[in-house]
Amino acid sequence: MAALRGEVSWFCCGSAWGPCGTAGGGACGTCRSGNYQHAWPNTSDACLAITRPDRCGVTGMTRRGCGFRHYTTNLCNGARVGTTIADCGPQTDLFCGERTCCGSACGSNRIIDLTPAAYSAIASLSAGLRPCSVDTV
Amino acid sequence: MNQTLDRRRLLATAALGGVVGATGLGSLAPEAAFAAEPATIEPGAPDPNFAEGRISKISGSMLLVTGSDTVLHSIRITGGTSIWKLHPTTFDKVAIGDGLYARGVRLPDGTLAADSVWVNIVNLHGHIAAVGRNVLHLDHQGRRIVAHVVPDRSAAVYNGTPAVSDLSLLRVGRHVQVLGAWHPDTNEIDIATVYAAA
Repeated sequence: MAALRGEVSWFCCGSAWGPCGTAGGGACGTCRSGNYQHAWPNTSDACLAITRPDRCGVTGMTRRGCGFRHYTTNLCNGARVGTTIADCGPQTDLFCGERTCCGSACGSNRIIDLTPAAYSAIASLSAGLRPCSVDTV
Repeated sequence: MNQTLDRRRLLATAALGGVVGATGLGSLAPEAAFAAEPATIEPGAPDPNFAEGRISKISGSMLLVTGSDTVLHSIRITGGTSIWKLHPTTFDKVAIGDGLYARGVRLPDGTLAADSVWVNIVNLHGHIAAVGRNVLHLDHQGRRIVAHVVPDRSAAVYNGTPAVSDLSLLRVGRHVQVLGAWHPDTNEIDIATVYAAA
């Protein structure tokens, strides 16, 4: 898979406090906020029918299953984190055309959600959205 | 890398000394700080330098936190710790019962010397069910969330445009992502930023 450029956010899963308490273990049943994991929009036909990145013109999003490794780079600072698939998401089509920039480094459309542990390794949780690139090596 | 090691050593030293005050660490901008943290954890694995849970006790500069998985964490706040609770804030605003995520350096005694602590932070997706005066009612995973607009703090990002304080373009039925701060033991949050599609 060629590096895919877009937006990254974060989500909670597993045992959790507050409104996250209902999140559960995600589509793979293994998701934990404290682990280096992520949600990917194309984990299955059923997942893709919900996330629909194609509606935003996002191509090159390869079908990958639970446990597959992706590496996400925060385009604001170059920080990179490796994570495994633990859930289906984000729902890309709900934010078609959305664009996030840090100076001239931009990403359009939501392509990956990281757990709080993974996201906080490359960005502040209080910055809810960042431009990113995602690859497999 | 030298900056990373120096920073970690300084932070750990400050934590071990129980110092709450200036450490010389505060000059790093947030993005630069995160760029300086190499990701060495195996993908899929838990990060020992991260903790989450609810605060059960505050003792001096130490937070005793009960993880959602019932694991207990001791988290040390230093003068270099950045604290977020709806906005950047100070240690005295942290309370028993608050939820948190924390990132730092795990010391030999198991204590986490915190680099960053995000208190009560939530990042929710939902549909706007109703709009009131300074409040949004959200449907989130089958539950109702009451999201309060906080004057001079809450902002909206409409389809990636720069954040603005005008939330009047938010409409019933729209899907939004809300970054905010939870009111412990309620279904209410304060809004930091609402992300809305066009």
